[in-house]
Amino acid sequence: MLTYEGVDFYDIESQLSEDEIMVRDMVRDWVDEEVIPNIEEACREGHFPEEWGQALGEMGVLGMTIDEKYGCAGMSYVAYGLVCQELERGDSGLRSFASVQGSLAMFPISAFGSEEQKMHYLPKMASGEWVGCFGLTEPDYGSNPGDMITRAVEDGDDFVLNGAKMWITNGTVADVAIVWAKLDGVIRGFIVEKNDAGFSAPEMTGKHSLKASVTSELVFQDCRIPKNRILPDVKGLKGPFSCLNNARYGISWGAIGSAQACFHSAKEYTLSRIQFKHPIASYQLVQNKLAWMLREITKGQLLALHLGRKKDDGSWIPEQISLAKMNNVDMALEIARMARDMHGANGILDEYPIMRHMANLESVKTYEGTHDIHNLILGRWITGIQAFTRDL
Amino acid sequence: MSETVVIAETKQGMLHSVTAELVSAANALGSAPTVIIPGTSDSAAAAVAELAGVGRVIACVGDCFSTYDAASWAKAVDTCAPAGIVVCAASQNGKDLASRLAARRSISVVQDVVAIDGSTLTQPIFSGKAMQNIVLSGDAVISIRANTFAAVGEGDGAEVTVMNQSADIATAVREMIAKANERLDVAEADIIISGGRGMQDPVNFVDLERIADALGAAVGASRAAVDTWDEIPHSMQVGQTGKTVNPSLYIAVGISGAIQHLAGMRTSKYIVAINKDAEAPIFKHADYGIVSTWEEALPILESELKALLG
Amino acid sequence: MPNIAVLVKRVPDTNAQILVSGDRVDLSNVKWVMSPYDEYALEAAMMHKEAQGGVVTAITLGAPECDKVLKDAKAIGVDRIIRVWDDSWSELDSNQTQMALTSAVKEISAEVVYCGKSAADTGAGSTGPGVAERLDWASASNIIGLEFEDSGIEVIVPAASGNARTGISLPAVVSCDKGFCKPRKPNVKGIMMAKRAQVEVLAAEIPASGINIVSHTPPPQKAPGQTFDGATNVPAVVAALRNDANVI
Repeated sequence: MLTYEGVDFYDIESQLSEDEIMVRDMVRDWVDEEVIPNIEEACREGHFPEEWGQALGEMGVLGMTIDEKYGCAGMSYVAYGLVCQELERGDSGLRSFASVQGSLAMFPISAFGSEEQKMHYLPKMASGEWVGCFGLTEPDYGSNPGDMITRAVEDGDDFVLNGAKMWITNGTVADVAIVWAKLDGVIRGFIVEKNDAGFSAPEMTGKHSLKASVTSELVFQDCRIPKNRILPDVKGLKGPFSCLNNARYGISWGAIGSAQACFHSAKEYTLSRIQFKHPIASYQLVQNKLAWMLREITKGQLLALHLGRKKDDGSWIPEQISLAKMNNVDMALEIARMARDMHGANGILDEYPIMRHMANLESVKTYEGTHDIHNLILGRWITGIQAFTRDL
Repeated sequence: MSETVVIAETKQGMLHSVTAELVSAANALGSAPTVIIPGTSDSAAAAVAELAGVGRVIACVGDCFSTYDAASWAKAVDTCAPAGIVVCAASQNGKDLASRLAARRSISVVQDVVAIDGSTLTQPIFSGKAMQNIVLSGDAVISIRANTFAAVGEGDGAEVTVMNQSADIATAVREMIAKANERLDVAEADIIISGGRGMQDPVNFVDLERIADALGAAVGASRAAVDTWDEIPHSMQVGQTGKTVNPSLYIAVGISGAIQHLAGMRTSKYIVAINKDAEAPIFKHADYGIVSTWEEALPILESELKALLG
Repeated sequence: MPNIAVLVKRVPDTNAQILVSGDRVDLSNVKWVMSPYDEYALEAAMMHKEAQGGVVTAITLGAPECDKVLKDAKAIGVDRIIRVWDDSWSELDSNQTQMALTSAVKEISAEVVYCGKSAADTGAGSTGPGVAERLDWASASNIIGLEFEDSGIEVIVPAASGNARTGISLPAVVSCDKGFCKPRKPNVKGIMMAKRAQVEVLAAEIPASGINIVSHTPPPQKAPGQTFDGATNVPAVVAALRNDANVI
């Protein structure tokens, strides 16, 4: 087995700082040693190995862009992107765990929480001791979260929550849930803890995708939480959307990892697979596919890197994130499908990572803003006309 | 031409056969060497004196040679050995002693020499992925890989001098612990049979052990096997991060031939590969490849060897 | 509390393909890493500090690009990082290498030096014992076990008749095999420490080289082998090993 060296046709590495390279290599080595040898078993059993969450905490990559004051690393968004890339080369479910913990659960506490909330939750979440989840999507409200049903009402010193969330990564295993609910008609963020009365998080089963990731419902039946659990500093959709921007940014890098894994496997396979007396990599149709893969991966890398630098200097706009998420997931999914084809029948076996990445990417295409919703976000930016809704 | 000195290799007080190869290497450097034989007595010196091509023999006798202690060995041997090019075995302790001796004399040490052509010495670098050819510009200590120089035969008998030495031991052996694996070490063996992950289960290594017993071979393993199974200790690992071996015969069973495994055994004189995958890279490096499952091939191999070797 | 030194070396990844171009190996496209056995030496040094306190200093020899292995060591948790170099140096022989490293070890007044049993590029294993000799220290090479004691250390080294449990008084140089420890991994906080750390650069007086490297050449290629289909050919192979190859 050759050491994985990544795909770096345009010498992206020359644009990375030494610490960014070190973080990438740290995660890359861990994925090679701990994840790739065990991922198929985790998928077959349909569970997320608990020790992986702890290892992510020990490595210090959970919420790694958040300030050191809160037990995090204060690293660049490019470093975070590289971590997502390497994790997703292992599995999208693993990257999803880190995305949800860092971008969707820790980020809103750090951005919109009180100082007490930050000091209470962030260090334990950074270390992996506490797992977080993010409740926005509901059974009937996915792309249109603004019409969510979940409600919070004041009752003495408490808030009482009622409603249900769906498709919640980490829900069943989470110690802390960031839940978005309407309070007096305005979307607000609430911190719900695992043992709060009236809160349950049953696991959703039967997935053909993200099998090594926990997906859950969150159910609130007169769930009572103290008033100091509201995130004080944000109102409206801006709250969840700013979380999603960070997560989508990470996905734009993560998808490159899946794509690289598929490309790498396709290259190795086609070079060693002999048909009609020669390696199939020597045939033009196969080379055409490999060249296309390299082309798309390289474009995706440049897109993600430039976006990352903009994230770091604050000059980004959300539409740029939409384009990167949409493009890179789309190209990764196409590469996975093409790689399956190139592996022939072997492509369906779990000896190769192809079919797993392909199935995972179908979820990634849909979550965190579907492919089409991102098109509409760009359509609105281009034309100035929103096309999400109209009166019929 | 400066003098050539050979430090004889001993094993538990007895002369190691590789010494005859060291004399051969020293002869290739152009002279009949002075052979230093370290030991607690001069009992092994006579065996050295009988080797062809030996100039003279110095038995370097001292209590410090009862166990290997780098500092005292280097000090004692340094006192006995004349200046010149010093030739050691590229064994674990031989290389260690070579390093200390060279440092003591502030001269270069050149390890793992596999060829001598006139004044040019060749040593493998990058685990044998390339060769380095060098010329000495003065005295040096060189270590010689086993099985690369033809052993010298018997000679007329050289003069033996005994020099008593005493040196303080810097490290104290407190206890000898039996090696967990009583088998021949792969680094020492002339024949190695190694298993890879294709053996499916570590218990199947007993099939390799039976063949090893028939051949007097060591049992090795690929990195994949060592990483996968706790039962297969790292001491068995052949490869870039394991042991680099150079046996006469290397039999790879269920080993695909990853580049780092090849780096550890590619210089074996003969390589036999047994693998069910006809496209396994190991076959490109095998002198004799057998496309077969190990379950089918090993029983036949065992019975053939037993019939042949009794 | 001991001053602990660990010698680390930047080498091509052990999986790298080594090509020869002209009369030298072409290393322009290889990935560079800390030599694998040095990772065990680094772990041994960190274990020593954990057991007895002290300061761990990682030392390398090389041009500025070798700073990376020192930063890697810093990310693991060493206290100081030192690089020994002079821009006029090239293709150092063992004598020069050991003199340069010895002067750095003296500079920091180390009482124990850990190093890998050999570097992945040369495979020589000369540096540890050579440095020990220049310091007139004890040395133990290829250790596969390590314990810390009040007055020194106890190591396990392979010997002809078994493994020798051996006591060593400090100062000493200890070269490490793998297997007695699991090298710790860096984490993001360590990497941030490494980012901020300064490499101390030392000069040293070294003698002239005792060797001239004439050339690097590719390893000898073997004649193509034969492949037989099926276990029924095992007897033919055994006969060939006996009669043609003369190896059994």
